[in-house]
Amino acid sequence: MNTNSNIYTVVYTAAVVTLVAAVLAFVSQSLKSKQNANEKAETISQILDAAQFDLSGVEGNAATIEFFKENIGSVELVRVDGTVADTLATADAEVLSVSDLKKQNYAIAGKGGEVAIPVYNFKNGVSVVSVYGQGLWGPVWGYIAFTKGTVNIVGAYFDHASETPGLGGKIKDDPAFRAQFAGKTVDYAGTTPFAIVKGGAPEGMTNGIDAITGATMTSKYLNIAINNWLEAYKAALNKPVCCGECETKTEEE
Amino acid sequence: MELLSLFVKSIFVDNMIFAYFLGMCSYLAVSKNVKTANGLGLAVIFVLVCTLPLNYLLDTYVLKSGALSWLGEEFANVDLSFLSFIIFIAVIAAFVQLVEMIVEKFMPSLYSSLGIFLPLIAVNCAILGGSLFMQQKDFAGVGESVVYALGSGIGWYLAIVALAAIREKLAYSNVPKALKGIGITFITVGLMGMAFMIFMGISL
Amino acid sequence: MANFKETFLNPIFKGNPITVLVLGICSSLAVTVELKGALVMALSVTAVTGLSSLVCSLIRKTIPNRVRIIVQLVVVAMMVILVDQLLKAFEATYPIDKSLSVYIGLIITNCIVMGRIEAFALGNKPLPSLVDGLANGLGYGMILVVVAFMRELLGSGTIFGFQVIPDCFYAAGYANNGLVILPPFALILLGCIIWIQRSLDKDLQEK
Repeated sequence: MNTNSNIYTVVYTAAVVTLVAAVLAFVSQSLKSKQNANEKAETISQILDAAQFDLSGVEGNAATIEFFKENIGSVELVRVDGTVADTLATADAEVLSVSDLKKQNYAIAGKGGEVAIPVYNFKNGVSVVSVYGQGLWGPVWGYIAFTKGTVNIVGAYFDHASETPGLGGKIKDDPAFRAQFAGKTVDYAGTTPFAIVKGGAPEGMTNGIDAITGATMTSKYLNIAINNWLEAYKAALNKPVCCGECETKTEEE
Repeated sequence: MELLSLFVKSIFVDNMIFAYFLGMCSYLAVSKNVKTANGLGLAVIFVLVCTLPLNYLLDTYVLKSGALSWLGEEFANVDLSFLSFIIFIAVIAAFVQLVEMIVEKFMPSLYSSLGIFLPLIAVNCAILGGSLFMQQKDFAGVGESVVYALGSGIGWYLAIVALAAIREKLAYSNVPKALKGIGITFITVGLMGMAFMIFMGISL
Repeated sequence: MANFKETFLNPIFKGNPITVLVLGICSSLAVTVELKGALVMALSVTAVTGLSSLVCSLIRKTIPNRVRIIVQLVVVAMMVILVDQLLKAFEATYPIDKSLSVYIGLIITNCIVMGRIEAFALGNKPLPSLVDGLANGLGYGMILVVVAFMRELLGSGTIFGFQVIPDCFYAAGYANNGLVILPPFALILLGCIIWIQRSLDKDLQEK
C-alpha cells in the first residue's frame, strides 16, 4: 500500500488520534474516582493535621475519611460579613478542594464570584479555616486551626504545588515551622492580622512567627496569602460563640 | 504595572533555563557559536509567543473542568483536562510544521537562516513547559499569557546567546582533557545560573 | 542473545543518554532534589521509553512519512498521560506525582524518548526496541538517582527523607549546604560526573 498518499495520511492520522483519545478517555474515566478520593483524603488529612488530631493510628484513605466524619461537627461556608452562605454535608465528609480554594481566592480579591469560604467546626471545639495564594513558583495553600469563637491559633498545616524542596518546601515539610503557629493569636487591630517575620519575630510578639531561613520569598508570599484570607475571615472569627438560640437565628436568615 | 512585573519576572526570575532547566537539549547542542544561537533563540521566542496564547484559549474554553459550559448547561461538568498534554503538544507540532511550510514558501531568505531550527523546536521542552506552567499559573487573560510567553522567550534567548559567547571564548582556553566540551559547558551553565539567582530577591 | 545483552548494556554505560549523548537534560535536573521523586521519575521515563518504542516499532511500517513526528508525539503523549493518570490514582504515589508537577508532562518532550524512537525503534523489530527503550530509560534513571543521592545527602542530610547525618554533627557545627539544593548545583554536579566518567574512559573524551 502507498503510505505516502494524501488520503492515507489523513485517514491514518485521524484513526490514530481517535484511537488514542478513546483509550485515554476510558482510562481517565475509570481512574477518576480513585484520583478524586486521593485528593479528598489528602485535603482531609491536612485539615485534621492542622486541628492537631493524632493521626498515628489512621492509615489509608478510607480510615482518614471515617476519622473526619466521626469528629466533624459542622462545615460552614461563610461570607465576608460573617454570615453563613451554605453548609457542607458532614455525613459525606464534603470539603473544599484546592481548586475550589483557588476560585475563592479570586472571589476574595474581587475578581468575580461570591465569597463563601469554609470553616470546619470540629466537635472538640476547634475551628479550621483555609488560606490560599500565590507562592514563589506556584500556588501555596493551607489550614489554620483556632479555638472556636476566638482568635487563638492551635495549629496550622501548609502545602504547595512547586516550591523548592528543602527551601520553600519547608512550609510543608518542616514541623518546627508549623509548630510556631500554636499559641499565637491573630491581631485584627494591628497593621496586619498576622506576620511571618524575616530574620525572626521579635521577643513577645503574639501575632508573628519566624520566616524560614533561606526561603525569604516563599515566606513572604505565604504571609500575603495568610493575611488576605484572615482579613476575609475577620467577621466570621470575631463572631461570638453561638449558643443554640442564635444558631437557629442564623439559619433563618 | 502587573504586566510589566510579569514580563520582567519571566525574563530574569523564572528564567526557563536557569530556574527550570527547560529546553536544555537544544540549548547545549546549538550554543557552539553566537550566530546559530541567535537564530534558534529568535525562533523559540516566535513559537512561544504564538502557541502559548493559543493553548491558553484552548485550556480556558475547552479543556478545563467546566470550561465547556458556554456550549450549554449539560456540558458544565465535562472535564477534559486529562487531554491537555496531548492537545498542547499537537498544537505545538502542528504550528511548527505550518510555520515551516509558510516560511519556506514565501520567505526563502528567512527560511535559510531560521528554518533549520524549526523542526528542533517541536521537541524543545521550553515550549511545552511554557504551556504547562501557564496552566498552573492560571492567568487572568490572553494579554497576560502573551506577555509571559514573550518574557520567557526573551529569557531563553538571552541565556543561549550568553552561553554561546562564553563557549566561543572557551574554545581557546586550557581545559582538562576529560572536562572538555560538554563537561565544562555544564559547569559554566551552573555558574551562570548562580549569577542569575541574584534576581530572585527583586520585588516588583 | 549476545546481541540483546549489548543492546541492553550499551545505553547504561558507554552510550549513556545523559552523560554521553547529552539527551534529556531538560526535565531531569529539576527533579533531583530528593531521591524519592528522582526514583519515580526514573521509573516513569523507563516505562514511557520502553512502551513507546515498542508501540512505534509495531506500527513502524504503516506510519506515513510526512506525519511521522506527529504520530510519534501522539504515541509518546498517550504513554505519558497513562503514567500520569496511574500515578495520580494510587494512594502511595499520589503525593509524589504532585511534587513532580509539570515535569511528568515534560517527559513528552524528553529527547531520549523521541531520540530512541527515531534512531532505533523505527528501524528494528519490536522486541529489541522494547529492550533498547527500557535500557535507555534505566541509563537515564541511574544518573538521576546518583545526582539526587548527592543532593539530598549534602543539601538536606537525609536519604529517602530519613535523617542519616547524626545530630552530633550538627551540634559540632556542621550545616546542610543550601547551595546544593538550588538548581545551578545540579548542573555542576552533572559536569563533575561527566568529568569522572571521561577520565576513566578515555575514548569518550572530546578533541
